[in-house]
Amino acid sequence: MSKLPLWLRIGGNSAASLVLGFLVLPILAVVPASFNKASFIYLPPRAYSGVWYERFLEDAEWRTSLLNSLQVAVLATAIAVVLGTLAAIGLRRLEGRWRAGITALFLAPMIVPVVVTAVALYRSALDVGLSGSILGMSLGHMILALPFVVINVGIALRGVDENWLKAASGLGGGPWTVFRTITLPNITPGIVGGAVFSFITSFDEVVVAVFLAGYSNKTLPVKIWESIRLEFTPVIAVAATMMIVLAIVLFAVAQLVSSGRETPTK
Amino acid sequence: MKNTGLPLRLEGVSKRYGKYTALTPTDLTVAAGEFLTLLGPSGSGKTTLLNLIAGYLEPMSGTIEIGSRDVTRLPARQRNIGMVFQSYALFPHMTVGQNIGYGLAVRGVSKAESTRRVSEVLSLMRLEGYADRPIQKMSGGQQQRVALARALVIEPDVLLMDEPLSALDKQLRRTVQLELRRLHQEHGRTTIYVTHDQEEALVLSDRIAVMDQGRIQQLGTVDDIYDRPANAFVAGFIGESNLLPVKVNAVAEGKATTEVEAFRRTIVAPAAPGVEAGQTARLLLRPEHLLLNETDDGVPAEIIEAVYLGELSQYGLALESGQVLTARRITDRSLRTGMKVSLSWDPGHARVVPEN
Repeated sequence: MSKLPLWLRIGGNSAASLVLGFLVLPILAVVPASFNKASFIYLPPRAYSGVWYERFLEDAEWRTSLLNSLQVAVLATAIAVVLGTLAAIGLRRLEGRWRAGITALFLAPMIVPVVVTAVALYRSALDVGLSGSILGMSLGHMILALPFVVINVGIALRGVDENWLKAASGLGGGPWTVFRTITLPNITPGIVGGAVFSFITSFDEVVVAVFLAGYSNKTLPVKIWESIRLEFTPVIAVAATMMIVLAIVLFAVAQLVSSGRETPTK
Repeated sequence: MKNTGLPLRLEGVSKRYGKYTALTPTDLTVAAGEFLTLLGPSGSGKTTLLNLIAGYLEPMSGTIEIGSRDVTRLPARQRNIGMVFQSYALFPHMTVGQNIGYGLAVRGVSKAESTRRVSEVLSLMRLEGYADRPIQKMSGGQQQRVALARALVIEPDVLLMDEPLSALDKQLRRTVQLELRRLHQEHGRTTIYVTHDQEEALVLSDRIAVMDQGRIQQLGTVDDIYDRPANAFVAGFIGESNLLPVKVNAVAEGKATTEVEAFRRTIVAPAAPGVEAGQTARLLLRPEHLLLNETDDGVPAEIIEAVYLGELSQYGLALESGQVLTARRITDRSLRTGMKVSLSWDPGHARVVPEN
């Protein structure tokens, strides 16, 4: 369909491919690296094996850190989705200038340097005894994830016609019924998108986790960071590969949900 | 499902947004089974009034009663009203049947009963067999009928419609108008209908409330409004009209003696209430009531324009004062541009109305 001249199309596509390769290939390099047979990371590996995957699963510390990460991410996502959805609905009801101001407040965790948030959380967590706990890290990550839910659900809400809600309540639906039967089905893609971003934000977050993790409650990124300072084993590549695969799976799920939900507009 | 609905009574209902008055304190009584149209230009307060009745807005003052129930402080969902929106507001993620059954489902009506009533209303709307269609697959006219079916199936005490035909093309609008009239005649239910289209109002209504500037300017039957408009706004809004400024010299026994500047003569004509001696007012002459003669006892005028409309023709007439009037007559080929004619009318057809 493009009306650009051929040379420009080829040139443009090549440039785009180069940029994409530059961004993606270093990340993908960890995948072959994780299949090294040797106890040092050679790239490309001299011999392949799954031995480091076994090592990862046998090691209690690695296993625990993976489970911790999953727990923290699930909890952070659940809280962020509920609060973020409520916030997005509330924001829509506000008058113009209030809406702009309070939206900025909700998006602040995206803009404030993470280390600042981390220090603040560290101090507060000590005060309330949440330091070093799964719940503490979850709440910290929830704050970082909240903007993604507020944005995604906010965009989805723009597709919800105010008159649908008026019609539903006129037909006898109470506020909760109207939310459940009209609003929720129409913003599900936004909620799923927000949830995926939340999960990934939490799952690969390292700064807040370093500040809040105790000795026994390390998350996977914290464990990677600690390990890499001691030894450079392919187990780290295994952990990194797992994170990449999980991220890809989650984004695929989000894509499926949002495209499956897409209905032809009038 | 023959059910005439309930009467509706509003007393002193008003609405303001900051300094802007959307509706001045308004009284309105609608009989059970009556079809009342709120007719007016945009910003006249008609939609505000409808939303107040529906319960989507809360009035600043006054009371609203449906039947013998005071619903002033009740939310929309407790008023048992059926509302048809201008945009239809159909739920896009549901089928036709689910849309129509929504009001029954949230009322806890059993599945079997709901299915029966939905199919009943589908056949009333001539939409048999469409229950499982997605809403998006329905045409504009069909969606309009689904919206009406959804409002009717809950057997509302009052049916409210907010410009329900404005999204349809002209051809379809005509058909649906007649369809709405048939439905109302068969299953007459108290109906409040909002429109800015006078033709729609004339076709459908038992009574019309003409609204402007946040108040009902006149409430009456089609004949009342057309033949006996209460003021210049109503006269100008409904039908075509020539409205000439006049000075009222005297009012007696329902007739006003007025000086008509444009005619340079004094005329006696029936007067609307509110016309007072010593004030200015308007003389209403409908285009179809103006007679064009070749004798010279009437008001002299020249035909400056003749538009052939088929059976009828419309004539532009310039008076000696420079005032231009419009007349509409059965087409007469002998009347041509440039001809001098003399204007007259049946004295009973002229009317003096207050300026506002």
